[in-house]
Amino acid sequence: MGTTREERIFYAFNYVLLTLAGILCLLPLLHLASLSLSGKNAVLSGFVTLWPQEITFESYKLLFAGTPVLRSLTNSVLITVVGVVMSMVVTICAAYPLSRREFYGRRWLTLAIVFTMLFTGGLIPTYLVVNYLGLVNSYGALWLPALVSTYNMMIMRSFFENIPEELAEAARIDGSGEWRLLLRIVLPLSLPMLATIGLFYAVYYWNSFFNVMIYINSPEKLNLTVLIQQMVRSQSVLQEINTMDTQQVNNITPEGIKAAGIMIMIVPMLVVYPLLQRYFVKGVTIGAIKG
Amino acid sequence: MKANPAKEVRLQTRSSVRARRFWQTQRFKTNMPLWIMFVPVVVFYLVFKYAPMAGLVIAFKNYTFFEGVWGSQWVGFDNFRTLFTQAQSLQIIRNTLLLSVLSVLIGFPFPIMLAVMLNEVRRKWFQKSVQTLVYLPHFFSWVIVGGLVVTIFAQSGVVNVVMEKLTGHSFAFLFHEGSWVAIFLGSGIWKDAGFSAIIYLAALTSIDPSLYEAASMDGAGKWKQIRHITLPGISPTIVIMLILAMGRVMEVGFDQVYVLQNSIVSGISEVISTYIYAIGLQGGQFSLTAALGMFESLVAFILVLLTNAVARRFGKGLW
Repeated sequence: MGTTREERIFYAFNYVLLTLAGILCLLPLLHLASLSLSGKNAVLSGFVTLWPQEITFESYKLLFAGTPVLRSLTNSVLITVVGVVMSMVVTICAAYPLSRREFYGRRWLTLAIVFTMLFTGGLIPTYLVVNYLGLVNSYGALWLPALVSTYNMMIMRSFFENIPEELAEAARIDGSGEWRLLLRIVLPLSLPMLATIGLFYAVYYWNSFFNVMIYINSPEKLNLTVLIQQMVRSQSVLQEINTMDTQQVNNITPEGIKAAGIMIMIVPMLVVYPLLQRYFVKGVTIGAIKG
Repeated sequence: MKANPAKEVRLQTRSSVRARRFWQTQRFKTNMPLWIMFVPVVVFYLVFKYAPMAGLVIAFKNYTFFEGVWGSQWVGFDNFRTLFTQAQSLQIIRNTLLLSVLSVLIGFPFPIMLAVMLNEVRRKWFQKSVQTLVYLPHFFSWVIVGGLVVTIFAQSGVVNVVMEKLTGHSFAFLFHEGSWVAIFLGSGIWKDAGFSAIIYLAALTSIDPSLYEAASMDGAGKWKQIRHITLPGISPTIVIMLILAMGRVMEVGFDQVYVLQNSIVSGISEVISTYIYAIGLQGGQFSLTAALGMFESLVAFILVLLTNAVARRFGKGLW
């Protein structure tokens, strides 16, 4: 291979910089994981950098035993699963008709929907609507206002539009109605795209923070994000944990317990991330947002 | 069966004849299920998107819970007048603009650079591994990213421990305005630069490889190829992303500021979204903050229209 000197330098720089970028994304996670697994002396003396010292699982044990982490984890799962199902159904109900050329009013409806991406009523009026509907302090306040993400819906619509018209024609000649066409042909053909959009919704619901903070008042209904944020912010995280075993607290630092809390949020993501990675790249690129 | 001719004539002379035919057309048969499907969507957009827009009338009223949206007193532009004369709200608007303009200016080139660099990698496994790592932070909530940042840059955090060993001093990164802004911008780039690169990577695949071969024959080095082939090739995408970024200039995400801010740097970190939360939702000043929200929305709207108009001049508009 005849590579010039300039090219060799270019490639060397390129590989080094990209390696650095990759490592930069990984380091903070490694550090936090180490903090959460290290003993008190190591944490306080500042020895812990990228590898746990005096490994102990006390922080995690204490979190599950003395705080509502487990309950808020279940809440997060509930919010995510129900939210994703509801959002997917309604988003399909929006994207499919808008993708059909026969659909009356398709132009105007699309315009009216895209307009909501450009101009919004904002937080206060939305809060008043949710409050008026009596949804405050119920998960309905998290699900209903987020049923359709217009951005996701537009991705889905342009994907449906690209399914060959002949398939619909053939199905209609065979006598199947719109519902059958959607359920038997269009949706099965769109599985990778549906997985992508489902992933986007799942991330949205799993990470929901602000909405939970403003709409949910009862502590037992909080999700993991808000609970962990309260812990991270707290000046006296150790005092707030009710534990019977004072002995246990001895090997624990506030830093360690906060790190463990953050790790509990990260780990489920790391588990599903590799499975879903191949989908989201596709999803971002099929959309390419048409106005 | 024999049809009754008299009845048929009568039916046809009626004005309902067109409607009756329409009921039987293929077009109607296709549309009916689609309409049924679409009903929940219409309800959703009316209730949760358009009703709040109508609810913006409270920006021109003195809203109280007892009188409700429609019963409250009209006050004209009083709320807006208050907003634009109060030192506090002016500072908040300034902070919002400062943080978001800096985010766009400084953050915008990173995904492009990352995409161009990834595109030049020949070893597939290396490309894949770097991609896997840099996309990851996008999926973390701001609570996680904020937790990471606060832990690492805290007084007893690892950065300060290392700095103390090297220089003998520690520095309260999160409690000085300058370093806080740097951390704010850096955390935004750390979280989203990788994921935003995907869209540019996709655009890069559409560039004709023969262009590079030709350039290479003519003796153009890598830098020249990037400047004259790669960047022009993805410029439409860059323009579109810029338009979308302009639309967000008025909005600094609540989560990011909220998880990073503290009372000492509130002079720079208090932005429109956190102000609406604190003064509006917690302080009960609904009308004043609705006015602020309306101002934010309007400016964003105008900015998108303007940027698009400019982009259209160059034949690259979004619509």
